[in-house]
Amino acid sequence: MDAIVQVLNLNSTLVAQVFNFIMLLIFLRVVVYPHIVRMLENRQEFIANNVAAAEEDRKQAETLRQQYLDELQMAKNEAQSIIQKAGKAAEEQAHEIIEAAKAESNRIKESALQDINREKEKAVAELRDQVATLSILVASKVVNEKMSVDIQRGMIDEFIKEAGDLPC
Amino acid sequence: MSEAAGHEASKDMLALVHENLNVWGFPHEAVNLGFGAVNLKTLIMTWIVMALIIIFTVAATRNMQLKRPGKLQLMVEEMFQFLRGLAYENLDPKKGASLMCLIFSIFIFLLFSNLWGLIPTMMSPTADVNTTLGMALFVFILVQVLGLYYRKGGYFKHFFEPFVFFLPITLIEELSKPLTLAFRLYGNIYAGEVLIAVLLGLIPLTATIFGGFLASVIWLSFSIFVSCIQAFIFTMLTIAYISQVTAEHH
Repeated sequence: MDAIVQVLNLNSTLVAQVFNFIMLLIFLRVVVYPHIVRMLENRQEFIANNVAAAEEDRKQAETLRQQYLDELQMAKNEAQSIIQKAGKAAEEQAHEIIEAAKAESNRIKESALQDINREKEKAVAELRDQVATLSILVASKVVNEKMSVDIQRGMIDEFIKEAGDLPC
Repeated sequence: MSEAAGHEASKDMLALVHENLNVWGFPHEAVNLGFGAVNLKTLIMTWIVMALIIIFTVAATRNMQLKRPGKLQLMVEEMFQFLRGLAYENLDPKKGASLMCLIFSIFIFLLFSNLWGLIPTMMSPTADVNTTLGMALFVFILVQVLGLYYRKGGYFKHFFEPFVFFLPITLIEELSKPLTLAFRLYGNIYAGEVLIAVLLGLIPLTATIFGGFLASVIWLSFSIFVSCIQAFIFTMLTIAYISQVTAEHH
């Protein structure tokens, strides 16, 4: 044993070195180690918090997105219904306008027919008058004084009645 | 005979280089400071390394920022998280959390110790077998204590598994753990320092100026890598040993 100690040059340095190391160990344990551990823990916590916060934000964003999508869908639906309503209203209005136009045209046609009839009757009456006058003139020329005016008048009226029954 | 002579010559040369590099005047022999003989150089280098670690970690953990960590803070945090990942993977998170301070301390102490020796005229505390064996024994005792703490009486059962007559083998296995831990670290770091000294001694000054420094530069950069790897291996094995003895067998 002594020989080994001699060869290896072992002496009290060994004990002193162990002592030195233990001193260093105690120093690091007391002064340095808590700082490192605390810092690493803080960092871990910090990162975990950040991750959690990011996750939270993501969830919120997702909710907001869903909300916006829903609102958008609602707005689209509303617009669709408005368009449909407007289309229907426009159709109805067009229909009404057409109806009104038809009625108006009918009315105009009626009144035109009435006008025509009235004019026709007026023309017939006038013509009757003139024919009568002309006939009297012709008759008076032809018959001359052989017939009184009253007789002539009766004959002419009879003639006109016959003529009036004819379609003209 | 000639081989022995060559060995002797190289040893002399190495001693000469060490002598030339010893600008701080450390005694070569162990000195008695009142509690037994100690290697003064190792102790002083350890204190310097400890002071550096304290300055580094305190500077890094002062005014820690949550959102915009500084460079030092980031370094310490990354180191810590890397080690915590290892610990939580191999131990369960509850045990891992209780041991994190120890694992972090071991890693940062060994890393700074290993790297410190790369500075000219300085020496790694881990290039002294006293340091590495001390650390390894510390870990060994810790592993036994943790095994007893977590598994109570059941801890002793694993010495007799799978059969009772495996006891010597398990004992040797158990005892080889601190030895391998200690000598792996010591060998790597001491060899690195020796080779640094050898490269300085072998290559004369004129050759060094005209490109001879390249060998040293390459070896130094490799030593940086080895320093990190060895610190990592020691820490990783500590975690592995602890996980072995604290794992619940069903």
